[in-house]
Formats: sequence, C-alpha cells, structure tokens
Amino acid sequence: MTRAPLRRTATALTALTAALSLTACGVFGGGSADEADAGDGVITFWHYYGDPHGVPLEAMLERYTEETGVEVEPRFIPFEDFGRTLQQQAAAGGLPDVALVNAYETGQLADAGIIEDLSAYADAWGERDAYYDAGWETGQVDGATYGIPHLADDYALYYNEDALAAAGVAVPTTWDEMEAAAAAIADSGAASYGLAVSGIEGAEGATGILLRTLAAGGDLADFGGGAGTAALESFQRMTASGGLSEGFLTWNEDDAMAAFTNGEAAMAINSASAVNVVRENAPDLAWNVAPLPADATEATFLSAENLAIGAGSGDADAAWDLIEWMQQPSVLEEYLPERNKLPARSDVPGAVTDPVRAVFADQLENAWAPTGETALHSTEALTIVQQALQAVISGSATPADAAAEAQAAIDEAMGR
Amino acid sequence: MRRDTPGSAAPGAASPGIVAARAATSPRPAGPRRRGRRRLAPLLFIAPAVLFVGATVVYPLLYSVLQSFFDIGLREVVQGGARWVGLDNYVDQFDRPRFWDAFAVSAVYTVASVALTFAIGLGLALLLRRPFRGRDVLRALILVAWVLPTVVSANVWRWLLDGSYGLLNALLRALGLLEGDLFWLGRPTAAVAAVVIATAWSFAPFAMILLAAGLEGIPKGLYEAARIDGASPWRQFRHLTLPQLRPVSLAALLLVFIYTFKNFDTIFLMTAGGPGGATATLPVYAYNEAFEFSRFDTASVATTVLMIVPIALSLWYFRALRKEQSA
Repeated sequence: MTRAPLRRTATALTALTAALSLTACGVFGGGSADEADAGDGVITFWHYYGDPHGVPLEAMLERYTEETGVEVEPRFIPFEDFGRTLQQQAAAGGLPDVALVNAYETGQLADAGIIEDLSAYADAWGERDAYYDAGWETGQVDGATYGIPHLADDYALYYNEDALAAAGVAVPTTWDEMEAAAAAIADSGAASYGLAVSGIEGAEGATGILLRTLAAGGDLADFGGGAGTAALESFQRMTASGGLSEGFLTWNEDDAMAAFTNGEAAMAINSASAVNVVRENAPDLAWNVAPLPADATEATFLSAENLAIGAGSGDADAAWDLIEWMQQPSVLEEYLPERNKLPARSDVPGAVTDPVRAVFADQLENAWAPTGETALHSTEALTIVQQALQAVISGSATPADAAAEAQAAIDEAMGR
Repeated sequence: MRRDTPGSAAPGAASPGIVAARAATSPRPAGPRRRGRRRLAPLLFIAPAVLFVGATVVYPLLYSVLQSFFDIGLREVVQGGARWVGLDNYVDQFDRPRFWDAFAVSAVYTVASVALTFAIGLGLALLLRRPFRGRDVLRALILVAWVLPTVVSANVWRWLLDGSYGLLNALLRALGLLEGDLFWLGRPTAAVAAVVIATAWSFAPFAMILLAAGLEGIPKGLYEAARIDGASPWRQFRHLTLPQLRPVSLAALLLVFIYTFKNFDTIFLMTAGGPGGATATLPVYAYNEAFEFSRFDTASVATTVLMIVPIALSLWYFRALRKEQSA
C-alpha cells in the first residue's frame, strides 16, 4: 500500500524528466526573430535613465513626436535589470524597436542576436566621419555597425580649490604629483582625504585603477605587463599615506562624489555626469575640473551609450529615422546640456559651451574604450582588476603577484 | 501513511484505496461510469495544486538542472541551439579554485550564521518564557527584525558600519576606542562577521518563535521533579531543557540552515560579495556567473550544488526523525 504511491510518483517524475529532455532543444531554443511583429507604427524605446536623467531624454522624444507625428513609447528599466530584461524579452520575442544600451555591451548583444545589423542604414547615412573613433568603434562588431553612439562621457579630475590652496599644493598633472598632493592634503588637514574614487566590488570599482593603468601605458587586456603593477603600487602608496581613504573599497561612484561635495575629500575622479550634481548639492563649494593626471601617457576612459534596433523590429525603418533625428547636431545642442553629457561627434560645438564641460570634451580625442574581444569580456575583466586592487590594498597579495594573477584570469576569461 | 508527511500527496494517494475498499464492500456495486467519476474526483481536487507546484517549482527546477548539462551563453538563450555537453560544466567548475572558494565561504557563513541565530533565538525564547511587564511589546519589537524587508535592514547595517559616518564608529570614537576611520566592510574578516551578524539578527526572531513553542511543550512537572532532586538552574537547562527541546531544535536548525545557505540579498546589498570575494557565497557566485558574465550553464552548476546540499540535509533529518519516532 505504501509502496504504490511512491512508485507512481517515481514514474510520473521519470516521464516528466523525459518529456523535458525531449523538449530541451525547444526549451533552449529561444523564440526571437520569427516573432517579428508586423509593425504598428509606434516606436518602443527602452532606456535605463532614471530620474533626473530620463527627463531630458523623454522630452526629446516628445519633441520628435511633435515634429513628425510619429508616436514614441519610452520605457524606463533600471540599469541593473536592463540587460536581463533584454535577454528575457529576446527569448520571448518582445524586444523594443530602439534600445539605448551600454556601449560595451553592444558586442555581446549583437553576438547574441538581440540587436540588428545597422550597416545598410549607417552606410546610406554616411556620417561616420563626424564621430570620435573610440565611441564609433564600440558600435562595430565583426566589421558591421550594430550601434550608433548616442552621447559620450569620460573621466576627469574634480578638485576643491580652497582645500588645495590651504594645503599649498597645485593641481596635479602627473600621477607622481597626485600621490604627493593627496598625502599633503591629508597631512595638512585641509580635508580628511586627498582623493576620492570608487573602488567597490565589481566592475564599477575598477575605473580608478584602470585609469591609472592606462596612464602607465597598459590596457585592460594587458594588465599584467608592468603597467598594472605600477598602478597597483601607486594606489597602495596612496592608501598607506592616507591620501586615499581605505574606505574607497566600499564606495560606489555616488559615495565618492558625496565625499567630494561635502568637503571630506579634496579631489575626486568622475565623469561629466557629476557636474550638475556637484553644482546642485554644493553651491558654495569653490571647485573646478582638470584633465586626468598623466604618467607614461595621457588617457581617459570613455563611458558611452549606443542606440540600437531590437532584433525582429517591425518598425526598423521608422526606428532608424528616429536614431538619425536624435543625432542631428541641432537636436544634440539642445539635449546634451540638459542631459549633462558630451556629444559623441565632433561637429556639435554648441553642446559644450560650458567651460567645465569643455575640459571633459577636450579629452574625448584620446579616450580609451575596449573593443573586440576585450569589449565582449569587459565586465568580467574589470571585475578581475577590481579584485587585484582589493587584494593589494588589504595586503593579501603584492602588486606584482596580484597583477600577474589578474592577467592570467583575464586571459582565461577572454578564451572562454 | 507515515511516509507521506509532506501532506499534499496524502489525500490523492489514500483516497483511491478507500474508494476501492468501499466499492468492494458495498452491497450494490456502483456502475463503471460512476466508479470512474469517483476515482476522477480526488484527482481533480488536487489538480490545481499539482499544476501550480509543477509550473512554479518543479518545471523551473528541472529546467535549471537540465541547463547545467548544456553549453549555454547569452546567444544560446536567445537563439537556441544549445549543445549537450554532459558533465563538462561540472568538471570545469569543480576544477576552479574560485568555485571552491565560494563553497567554503558559503559553508563558513552558513555554519556561523546558524550557530549565532540559534544561540540568540534560544536566549530570547528563554528570556521571554516567564511573564513580565512589557513582554508582549518586547516580543513584537523583536519580530520587527524578521518582518523588515532585507533591502531595508541590509542597507541599515551598511550605514551603521560605514567607516566615516557609521554609528558604530561614532560610538567607538566617543568611547575613545577608535581614532580616525575604520571600514568594517572593507576588511575581509570583519565583512564576513558583519554579514553573519546581520543575517543572525534577522533570522533569530524566527528561531525564537519555534523554540518558544518547543519550550511551552516541556511538561512543568519535569522541572518540579528536578528542583526537588536539587538540580541547579544550569543543570536543569543542560539536562532537561536542552534534551527536551531536541526535536524542535533540529527542525529550527534545519530551517535556518536552508534559509541561510540560499540567502542572497543580505550579502549582495551589504558587500556585493566583497571585499575581494571574502563574502562571495555560492548564490552570489551563481548570480555573477549568470547575470554579470552571461554564463548560464556554469551558474546552473552552482545552483544545482546549492540545491543538493539542503536536500541531502533534509533527507538525513527526515530519516533521523523517522528513526526517533519508531524507537
């Protein structure tokens, strides 16, 4: 009596497993391209701009509707959920017509068949030469165009003029000067710390150490070749001297910027998107922006977004028209100052009349961005680099060992 | 019947037998149509539950396990064409020090959290055993920790422990025990201790409720007898309370273990697995594999391991329980 139900359950389970195995190919079969909707004339537009960044974007889309009569339906999805939502909708056949994607994910999305090849549109359009190379390259996958740069941003040095004056130091132009200045500021008590930068677990916290590595002549794919070691040693010296708070390992970019605006840190490394934040939160702070310190070379890190068309979009032509309209210099001149960002193209002088923002714009020419295989694995590579930084600062590895270990892990990630 | 402890299976399993027995003893046997309908009725009653559990638990579970035997990246999820690779993903993962690091972190985190949760839960249960003024208010307040959404509690802990403006450091500075800043969540050992304490803080009220119920069940007469025999309070606790509480303790330990072992949000919000992977438990590892690096296959290996450990422990528990009951 007691055996029978058990056996029945077992049989049912076996049948279920067998059925699942049989449908496995179907299960993992996705369902994207064949479910292309015929096109309803309404352009769905997905982005990850939360408040307040989404306001100018949606206002811009409304202007498009006013001008052309074409309806655009924007949808905000938080950054953390954006990639996952695209993946799920790709499998379910519910992709948007236009997606505003992180530039470094363009390759991965193209590789997965989530976004369309735009080469035919882009060639007919013929405006490639107007774009800065590093930004345009992020939209290229295997020689084809999958993303059109939407805007650009890069990293520069924010500094508190009063704190630097009180400590008697000049704005550092090299990393050696930066180390000395950060230590001098902390010693003088002009601020608790000289420098604030994000070093939190994960890719976000790798920006500072990557910028330092780029300046030393290295690269994300070439972290172990001496430059990574030099960069790690530099950060180690800065935390040891008190110029950089050990707590930067727990700070995200907003935390680092908060330390700058409340006067706790005299300098901070961040992108132009923080300009308005500092202006609003610290109206009385005497501050300015300078190019990032140099070492072997001068380099900054490009942060960018691309406009892409979702696979199977029934309104691809209309979606492209919108992208083209959004990239017109006259439209960008109105939009970018509100959005607090820089143009991805060099023919929009009216977008950077603000002297502070001009410092960021001037660096765009030599902004670095991962391309090809490096771009495909950039999140993982950045995570690995952050771990090396953490290991060095906590004293669990020497800079040379940590850099070598990171290089091995990056090579492996690229090969996988 | 004793085998069918998980409730829902029992009616479906038992009823056809009862129906058959009744039909056999009935003076006027029911017609085949009628008997068929009677057999069908119980199945229909359990069908919604079976369908629900099947669709929301069994299917995703098997899907995830199955995924661990395929080569699945972002492309395969979207376009299909995943290749069967057998145990390759397992071999790959079991070869990786990072996987075993995550497993070890999980083990340390879980064991420490369960021990601390149990100790605090038992302490609270004993404290609230005797009636005193404000006991109910206190009990309700303690329960807040269990009811509070993790996103709230984890961020509160993160702020409390912040190196520059955190409350803990402010307190230590006021007492003259600390000068300058100390970033608790930036140091590996301190970070592990912090997530363990935060976890125990939120799970302890749950353990308290279970253990308090267990304490209620201990016959008062046993304590009277112990007192007459001259047993000190400690001896009463050691030789009476603890052994009497054993079945409830085992259940509480098992449940807290399962909750903790699969716990993701507390750690993710407090440290994101940092610093340097010091708090990267298996769930955090699986999350990164799947959603940061788009390796759904190896993430499934991690989640499968994540599932096997509690299942093995539960089986051991039910076997022990059965042995105890039949003894």
